[in-house]
Amino acid sequence: MRIVIAEDDALLREGLALLLRAEGLEVVATAGNPGDFLVAIDAHQPDVAIVDVRMPPTHTDEGIVAAVEARRRQPGLAVLVLSAYVEQAFANELFSVGATGLGYLLKERVGRVEEFLAALHRVAGGGTAIDPEVVGQLLARTRPDTELSELSPRELGVLELMAEGLGNTAIAERLFVTEGAVHKHIRNIFAKLHLSPDDQADRRVTAVLRYLEK
Amino acid sequence: MTWVRKRFRASVGALEHVVGGLGTAVLALGTLFWLVIVAILSLVGIGLPAAHDALRALRSVADRERGRLTRWGPPVLEPGPVPAGLKATIKDPFVHRELVWLPLHAVGGFLLGVFGLTIPLYALQDITFPLYYRLLPPDAAPGIVWWRTESMPDALLVALLGLGWVVVAILAGPMFARIQAASGRWLLSPPPGIDLSMRVAELTATRAAALDAHAVELRRIERSLHDGTQNRLVAVNVLLGAARRALQRDPVLADEILGRAQDAAEQALAELRTVVRGILPPVLDDRGLSGALDGLAANCAVPCRVEVDVQSRCAASVEATAYFVVAESLTNVVKHSGATGVTVSVRRERDRLHVDIEDDGRGGADEGQGSGLAGIRRRVEALDGRLTLTSPPGGPTRMLVELPCGL
Repeated sequence: MRIVIAEDDALLREGLALLLRAEGLEVVATAGNPGDFLVAIDAHQPDVAIVDVRMPPTHTDEGIVAAVEARRRQPGLAVLVLSAYVEQAFANELFSVGATGLGYLLKERVGRVEEFLAALHRVAGGGTAIDPEVVGQLLARTRPDTELSELSPRELGVLELMAEGLGNTAIAERLFVTEGAVHKHIRNIFAKLHLSPDDQADRRVTAVLRYLEK
Repeated sequence: MTWVRKRFRASVGALEHVVGGLGTAVLALGTLFWLVIVAILSLVGIGLPAAHDALRALRSVADRERGRLTRWGPPVLEPGPVPAGLKATIKDPFVHRELVWLPLHAVGGFLLGVFGLTIPLYALQDITFPLYYRLLPPDAAPGIVWWRTESMPDALLVALLGLGWVVVAILAGPMFARIQAASGRWLLSPPPGIDLSMRVAELTATRAAALDAHAVELRRIERSLHDGTQNRLVAVNVLLGAARRALQRDPVLADEILGRAQDAAEQALAELRTVVRGILPPVLDDRGLSGALDGLAANCAVPCRVEVDVQSRCAASVEATAYFVVAESLTNVVKHSGATGVTVSVRRERDRLHVDIEDDGRGGADEGQGSGLAGIRRRVEALDGRLTLTSPPGGPTRMLVELPCGL
């Protein structure tokens, strides 16, 4: 897996590179600002980009803008956005172009290396990784007039884990239920959200997006 | 004796006011002529387009007089610019009062100004007359002297008259100044009822500025916490995670990573300390402004001389702002000026604290360029202070900050 890192804090940038290289992953370039990052993307055509949200010059949403631009230049590029805090507006901006191969995690998750690597691989494989904190905030803001309000608490829990990017087996493990039960919940979710039974993976993504759109 | 000294000082002050009043009276006279011409032309139908401008000129002259009166006595609040559009301007209650004031000040203020100025001049001319009377023909004595001045005693009599003028100036001068100012104090202050709303507007503005400075300060703290401490701690976390993973495979590498994590933790602590000190430096409480500024100077990369002449403490917010101003300025000096030396002097004059920062750098400091200058100005103005910056290209840069002490 070839990775480009964009992070303006030098210590953190090197720390991340060190961690990933120690895990046998290939960090092909690191960048400290959006401009260098896009140059590195064009030069290396990596599989995954890890991008910090706040970067120079204004330290607001440069990372998101750069991530969206990188995906425009290289369609199919997996992007994992790291943020110091949860900002729903940033999440919306990021996921407005779809959720495949996209992740949005709090920076501190990187310390839990196994989970971080799992999320990284999931995103690289075209999946989604959304921080539980982000999901929690979105859930807290569910308005009563949406289709989501028809979901039972259990189904919401399943959707939450789907949004984090977990597969059926992992969801079953987390909720201490059988895979069959998870499958049933997911079918109910699709039905309540009026998602037609075409491609299973697409519906998962759509459900997650529906979740984020509110 | 003290009475004489007091009277003398009062009359010198009065002379100053009378001359100032004469200045605005001349402006008022010019504006009066202009307004009359515009009014006449408007009657014929061709002056209307110039009417709004003429009234704007009226407001500007009136504001000048308001400023003069405010510097000298109780503040006369400025109502702000005239409304846009002639119709609204004509309806403006302030404009009505200014229109009454204008001829009063243009004529009365002018005459009083001329009298007030003439009397001391007469006094000077007459008192010094014995020195030069020989140069003049005997019937050319100055002022209201009606006798022929052919000998020294005659001339000394003129000098005596001069002393009389001095007495008149001392007794009548302050009265002249008061009468000259009376029309302005009466007509240029807001009509009753509006006064309070203007005060409220003014207070709201200063309060908003204070809150704004507060928000800027919070953003600064947030930024330094985020960019410094938080990122350092995230790095610690990442490195700890990496070290745990490496522990089994490669204990040497794990040890190296742990060393880096510790460095990062130490940096986080150092930056946290900086942030905390920046909020309200504890040293201000301990050692006052003088000690705190000495500390700043000692840590400044450019040689810095500090002179503090402040006998008593000021309000905590004022001291913190003065400290902030000096700290930010020294940062600017180090970053941008290329100076080889900087002088900071702080002194208290009655109820105002003066901070004066001067470097010998290349100058050209610009508030728009995102140096901390705009932040400094906001913080100073939030306390009702004043900031003056002179920084010609080529230097030197000098910043003067004046803060009310609040105690």
